[in-house]
Amino acid sequence: MVVRNKAARPRVGVFKFASCDGCQLTLLNCEDELLLLAGKIDIVHFPEGASPARPDGPFDLAIVEGSVSTPEQLREVRHIRSRSRVLVTLGACASSGGIQALRNFANHDEFRKAVYARPEYIASLATSTPVSHHVPVDFELRGCPIDKNQLLELISAYLRGRSPAIKNESVCFECKRRGTVCVVVADNTPCLGPVTHAGCGAICPAFRRGCYGCFGPREAAATESLAAHMKNIGKSEQEILRSFRLFTAGAPAFEDESRRHE
Amino acid sequence: MTELKADRLKSMPRSGLEKLLSLLTKKGFRLLGPTVSNGAIVIGDIATTADLPVGWTDRQAPGSYRLQKTGDNRAFDFVVGPHAWKQYLFPARETLHRATFDKAAGLWRQSDDNAVATAFIGARACDLAAMAIQDRVFIGGEYIDRGYHNRRQASFIVAVNCLRAGDLCFCDSMGTGPEVKSGFDICLTEFDDTFLVQAGSRRGEKVVAQLPIEPATENQCDDMMAGLAQCRQQMGRHLETENLEGLLFANLEHPQWDNVAERCLACGNCTMVCPTCFCYSVDETADLGVAPPQRERSWDSCFSQQHSQVNGASFQPAVKDRYRQWLTHKLGAWKSQFGTSGCVGCGRCIAWCPVGIDLTEEVAAIGVGAAPPVPMPEHRPIAVKGADSSTAPLFATTKVSVTDVVAEAPEVKTLVLNMPADYHYQPGQFNMLSLPGIGEVPISLSGNSEGAVEHTIRSVGNVTAALSALKFGATLDIRGPYGSAWPMAQTRDRPVTVVAGGIGLAPLRGVMRSLANEDRDNDTEWVRLIYGARRADALLFTRELKQWQQNPALRVAVTVDQSTRDWTGNVGTVITLLRRKDIPVNGLYFVCGPEVMMLAVVRLLREAQVPPQNIYLSMERNMKCAAGHCGRCQYGPYFICKDGPVFSYDRLAFLFGKQGF
Repeated sequence: MVVRNKAARPRVGVFKFASCDGCQLTLLNCEDELLLLAGKIDIVHFPEGASPARPDGPFDLAIVEGSVSTPEQLREVRHIRSRSRVLVTLGACASSGGIQALRNFANHDEFRKAVYARPEYIASLATSTPVSHHVPVDFELRGCPIDKNQLLELISAYLRGRSPAIKNESVCFECKRRGTVCVVVADNTPCLGPVTHAGCGAICPAFRRGCYGCFGPREAAATESLAAHMKNIGKSEQEILRSFRLFTAGAPAFEDESRRHE
Repeated sequence: MTELKADRLKSMPRSGLEKLLSLLTKKGFRLLGPTVSNGAIVIGDIATTADLPVGWTDRQAPGSYRLQKTGDNRAFDFVVGPHAWKQYLFPARETLHRATFDKAAGLWRQSDDNAVATAFIGARACDLAAMAIQDRVFIGGEYIDRGYHNRRQASFIVAVNCLRAGDLCFCDSMGTGPEVKSGFDICLTEFDDTFLVQAGSRRGEKVVAQLPIEPATENQCDDMMAGLAQCRQQMGRHLETENLEGLLFANLEHPQWDNVAERCLACGNCTMVCPTCFCYSVDETADLGVAPPQRERSWDSCFSQQHSQVNGASFQPAVKDRYRQWLTHKLGAWKSQFGTSGCVGCGRCIAWCPVGIDLTEEVAAIGVGAAPPVPMPEHRPIAVKGADSSTAPLFATTKVSVTDVVAEAPEVKTLVLNMPADYHYQPGQFNMLSLPGIGEVPISLSGNSEGAVEHTIRSVGNVTAALSALKFGATLDIRGPYGSAWPMAQTRDRPVTVVAGGIGLAPLRGVMRSLANEDRDNDTEWVRLIYGARRADALLFTRELKQWQQNPALRVAVTVDQSTRDWTGNVGTVITLLRRKDIPVNGLYFVCGPEVMMLAVVRLLREAQVPPQNIYLSMERNMKCAAGHCGRCQYGPYFICKDGPVFSYDRLAFLFGKQGF
């Protein structure tokens, strides 16, 4: 990330596109740290949490949630980028297209016709895509939703001018660090942990459930090997396809793997 | 206990176990032991024998672990589970505290100096072997990990002999079990109604004396020996260890590495469950400016990208590179580093690999059609200082201030730092420089002048950018010097050629300064510098370069890759330039620059018949702790931070230029 100008409180804008609002709500959920945060940054645009809206900035830091799903959002994301020094995105929608990217695998027009009585009034793009497909992104915070501590780390790191201590390792690293018994080995439960980006703290396996990949693929995601293993433990092609085609279906590593099981 | 002395072996009724636990609790120990949780026998806090896995055992296979009822009342009738004791001695996450020197007391103080007295109940022979191996890493060298040391000192070990081996056990192959031989306070051998008890330390004896014991009978001793012998027979796995390190390094391109890379998930589970894996990362942690910034270390693994990452690029990008790094280190390079294998034969990595990769099978497959073993560097034990109160903790820093800043080239600055009077270094060594809240980086020493040292820094990331932005009077934290130096003693009576590329001149500037001031015979012991940079404006130390060029005792040739309008000198790489020079075989060659440049220089020198021991290189890998503890700067059998960064080429030849290391 670009080192910010330390002279003044940085001007921050919080935006959303196609998404459920859960990630930007994480900012408001930083209860203990909220006042501290408010003293460090100047939130000039945050429709979800404050008025008035000042969408034109300029911003030292733009925090963007959601995927690009309509022609209007396409224009808006470019505008935000042009008004921002640093742009970071929050969550699975912004980094991979989100659950709404399931339409990328189907016929968009047929979807519109099936859902809306007057589909001609609906101005949406044929695909739901991550912000990084349209403008340069300085950092993508993963997750559906994001993790509060990672959001605080991202903002702290930005304020300090350091690289955020956010790792691109597998969920297994976090699972083992917290001492959880592996659900794949002990229970034969399918788990996307080995191919999924860490950051959640390995919550699901701690409750004896498999990871369902909501932080999207990690770097070097060995999806083919994991899919072969799922097959070995008796999962059908359809089940394997569905496990890779969920909240981060549009992330290339998961998209490629799910298409192998069509 | 190899030579069984019946008089030292006591017999204790089963009920004595409860007494042992309560005695240790009364002595103030936190009790940790095996307990059933979430479908496995894990290590957790226990209070009474009711918390132990009485009547449970495990069945293990590659990628599979299942609990089973035994129908008897034994408490230790299983083998090792997913947890290892390392999680208590070397916690998965730990805040590294800033150490301060208490002048009045004359010792270093750290806020994590107080470890909780803990009794480890039920450690196996392989577990104890693993602890002994981690001791060599964290407290067996020049630098002491104070936190680990204190936790180790505060632990009381109640070991258990294994009378049953699991399907994934191979401690017998590794010479680490099943019999508990050393490193324990009390050792138990469990039978249906009784335990055989032996003390292994003075404090163990004191506890044993309070237990309901009587001398063991000869029959009981025979039963124990028979049980151990039967356990050896039952080992489910076997590993051929003869010359294994040389075999692995001789077969780095064996097709089996590609085969395993297709199955490996690079998930890191094998390293996390391994009781000896010690790699860690160090990060600044979230802070909004109220509390002082903290540094946290956490378990890392050679299966993560950041493990081998330098300036944004990974030396081990492919899954194959990472698996090969792990196996060649664990079973091979470890021996050169620590004088022991890194494997204790516990089988955890086989059971807890989600896709069931079995290292014993991989090693056997590599043995098929293998090239004969290569010789590996001998382990060089060093004199251990020991952890007394005067030992500086590993991460202790000194605050220094910037006395001058020199802009050398775009993105490159030299910081001049005032240093304590007793600070000494040799050219080639490096310091760790840090800014609280931003991070710490290794930077080579580029010279000294009037009691100050110089660091020439290229701005490539956030920490180097922040260091480069420091102004006169600013303070930063420093620790060092670390690593090996250029062998200045060898420069006598022979021609010396210094080859540097780009910022690679920084660690060699001290060499040039020193040689420039020596009285040398210009016919037989000339000194030559061949220096290249991308463009003229990227050349470092330009004023000094001119002085060297005018010095009749030095032969200086400078070249740039790309010519610019005002450049009238050589154009081309240092290789092009070097090719035009005579290359005496008795000459000494110091080389530092990008690895691809060093590779080409070495090739050229070797073609000219220069013996490998006359060539010295300065290597770079991901250095984080500078003491050979964090494991990230490994290069085959070496840690670049402590065995390097300066190496003679004969030590590197078997690996240098190979992709993925």
